[in-house]
Amino acid sequence: MDNLFRIIFNSLQTGSVYALAALGIVLIFRTSKTTNFAQGSIGTLNAYVAAILLSSWGWNIWLVAIISMITAFITGILIDTFIIRPAAKVSPISKQIITLGLIMVIVGIIPIIFGVDPLRLPRFIGSGAISVFGASLTYNTIFVVLLSLGLMGLIFWFIQFTKWGLAIRVTASNETTSKLMGVPTKTVTMMSWATAAMLGTLAALIVAPQASVNPNMLIDVQVSAFFAGVLGGFQTFLGPVLGAYIIAFSRNAAIFYISDIWGTVIVYMSILVFLYFKPFGLFGKKPVKKV
Amino acid sequence: MKNKVLELDRVTMQFGGLKAVNELSFSVDEGEIVGLIGPNGAGKTTVFNCVTQFYDDYQGNIFFTNHQNERIDLRSKKVTEVIDEGIVRTFQNVELIPDLSILDNVMIGAHNQFKTNIFAHILRTKKAKQEETMIREKAMEVLEFMNILDIKDQFAHGQPYGILKKIEIARTLMANPKLIILDEPAAGLNDKETDELAEIINNIRENYNASILLIEHDMGFVMEICDRVCAINFGQYLAMGSPKEIQSHPDVQEAYLGKDE
Amino acid sequence: MMEKLRGILLGFTRSLKRHPHIQFMVFGALLSIVAFLPHIGIMNFSTMSIIAYIVIYTVVALGMNILLGFSGLISLGTAGFIGAGALGIGVFLGLGLPFELAALLTVIIAGGIGALIGLFSLKVDGIYLAIATLFVGEILRQIYTQVAIFGGEGINIGGVKFLGLIELNQIRQWNRSYLFIILVIVMVIMMMVMHNIIKSRTGRALMAMSRSDSAAQAMGVSILKYRLTAFILATVFATIGGILYGIYFQQAPTRAWTLNISLIIIAMVVVGGFKSIYGTFLGAFVIHGIPNLWLKELFDDVSYIFSGILIIVVILFYPNGFVYVWVDIKKAYYKYKLKYAQKKKVTADEE
Repeated sequence: MDNLFRIIFNSLQTGSVYALAALGIVLIFRTSKTTNFAQGSIGTLNAYVAAILLSSWGWNIWLVAIISMITAFITGILIDTFIIRPAAKVSPISKQIITLGLIMVIVGIIPIIFGVDPLRLPRFIGSGAISVFGASLTYNTIFVVLLSLGLMGLIFWFIQFTKWGLAIRVTASNETTSKLMGVPTKTVTMMSWATAAMLGTLAALIVAPQASVNPNMLIDVQVSAFFAGVLGGFQTFLGPVLGAYIIAFSRNAAIFYISDIWGTVIVYMSILVFLYFKPFGLFGKKPVKKV
Repeated sequence: MKNKVLELDRVTMQFGGLKAVNELSFSVDEGEIVGLIGPNGAGKTTVFNCVTQFYDDYQGNIFFTNHQNERIDLRSKKVTEVIDEGIVRTFQNVELIPDLSILDNVMIGAHNQFKTNIFAHILRTKKAKQEETMIREKAMEVLEFMNILDIKDQFAHGQPYGILKKIEIARTLMANPKLIILDEPAAGLNDKETDELAEIINNIRENYNASILLIEHDMGFVMEICDRVCAINFGQYLAMGSPKEIQSHPDVQEAYLGKDE
Repeated sequence: MMEKLRGILLGFTRSLKRHPHIQFMVFGALLSIVAFLPHIGIMNFSTMSIIAYIVIYTVVALGMNILLGFSGLISLGTAGFIGAGALGIGVFLGLGLPFELAALLTVIIAGGIGALIGLFSLKVDGIYLAIATLFVGEILRQIYTQVAIFGGEGINIGGVKFLGLIELNQIRQWNRSYLFIILVIVMVIMMMVMHNIIKSRTGRALMAMSRSDSAAQAMGVSILKYRLTAFILATVFATIGGILYGIYFQQAPTRAWTLNISLIIIAMVVVGGFKSIYGTFLGAFVIHGIPNLWLKELFDDVSYIFSGILIIVVILFYPNGFVYVWVDIKKAYYKYKLKYAQKKKVTADEE
């Protein structure tokens, strides 16, 4: 029983990280029509900003976290304005490769600005835990999960209930028509990239204490975010978030209860089988083609 | 009594609650040119898609007399098998391959006449080379028939619209068709091109011994070239007869022009 | 005398044009010269290895070009299949099988997985299919890193015996050169295979399927058959690339086969040239060769940045691939020729 809850708590944290990343991916996928492979790298870059400020100038984690959120926001806007927007006419596959180029640029820049040694970032809440059903639940985990859920909830509310959110949904469903209707699609995509960058950075900040800040820190998160998107369906914003928690929990459970060698493989294969029967994910719908 | 090459028997096609085609019955005789007319949204392209088995969940029956003179129920065939029986079609949005040459585009029309498989292609066996040469020559014949042989090596991309339509028709001829289904062949063509098209269709009927079923909005074209015309509205049969009869048919006039109150 | 030379050269190039297979062989022959350069001191062996890498990448990317450029499909799991080639060879050789049998088995097994993906692709499309291929790549990577038979960190292959007669071990310098030549020969063969495929009805069918599947079906092209073909071909090419990796470097790592590698392969097709065989080599050269051969010396750490910038810039300005820059060069050349001829005419008139 305590194992189960340990897995649950672990999955809540991991799932939150995946969910943040997945939300960023689906946001950009739907508004900018790009599969952003560089999501993890962007988050990593800004996590480095936080880490270097903390280590060089001794600022505390909260301050550097906020600053890195701001730099993330700026990073997103810069990337959209100078790289993605000019590439608007390029085919979707080529856009994906542009994001690969972006990864290479970022991974190349990191050692130049921040040096080659991995850096450290502490947890938001350094210590303290409560015991629930025999499993330890750290304050940090509680905070991180609540923060993630809160942020995502805020974004959902924003998308569903505000004018700008409507602009996002409309651009997501059809950019050309939106442009014709006077929706400021340029601003929408800029904001999407900025938001996605922030989501990626938060994910990095949460992962950093366990993994240290290094160029590859978000690779697993990135891949899992894509899986979450496919499981939940790219047609909605909620789907990938749910998918993220499902994947996090299934993996941890499978590794513990079934096999630590084959656990992940089993979960992935199950998702593939699921996808075969529901080719658009949990919440996806099939678009109709006219001949 | 002429043989029927195509027979629709109370065909109904539903999308959700909407009946795009509703109990439609008509036939095409051998060697005929039949026009299918109706206002936009009347279900004409849907009829085509049912005949070619692109939609295979229609109700009713569609019978076709194939090359072997057998009367078959098309439902037993898949969309990729219909061409073997002798039915070919063109598309409303001309569906060519822009980054292939015109010659290659036409050669695809003979796809199913190749007997060699991928290993023969990889190894470039004698048989594969022979087949390729044979089909290539046939494609050039067809292109010459359509008067576009001189541009055979140009890419399909960027060709004028009239040429694209000709290429599509050329492609259909590769399969020695018994029935050619043309989806709005005159759409977007100017007068001169339309006249040329009429001439080509008549030539096809003569030289290839094919029957033709076409959808059109250009009434002048339809009247000029069709032996019989079938008029539908909201997927339902209105009338069928010679062009003159259809033109003066009251139901047809009402569907197109609205009733005089 | 100059005229005669020009005539011979022109005749040679014209007959080359008509026989692309000979072209590939000439290309391969020229490339093979690299195998000898380290022995006469012009190049060092590490450089030869970098070029070997380019050859390996080319083979994999050719398969990706068939998938992406001709069939309009994408795979993000390619790295898993390169790994399959290298590790598969390692495992089967370790079990004592002769090389040729090991290679055959590896290709067949990998091809089988490719076929499964092809079947899967009939129901799943777009980004879902793309991520599904990522799933496959990740599943393979998990298996490689977790399952004991792959040795944890990797398999040390050691010397490889070809045709049961000759053992080539990369420890010996001349052996490395022979292995390099074998790599080039296989690459040339794969180029010829790809050329034959794309010029045949299979190639046309693949393009029909991807450009317009309704028209394709109406002409009897079975989407099932050709999707299977596309994925199996891409997988087989990638696996053969992996086998080449195994026999040249003679060790097969388990952790290396990540999404990044799969993306790099796609980048080689996109940057080099869709549907172009030489373009694929160019892409491999630009993406792997330039950073490792030159930029590293000049800029070291910055080489990765330059590759990234290069990729972004090429895509923005040459969306169909850098190989088509020769179209612009041709245009400029003709323009220049025209101007020159006009100038000549003007001066001739003046006289």
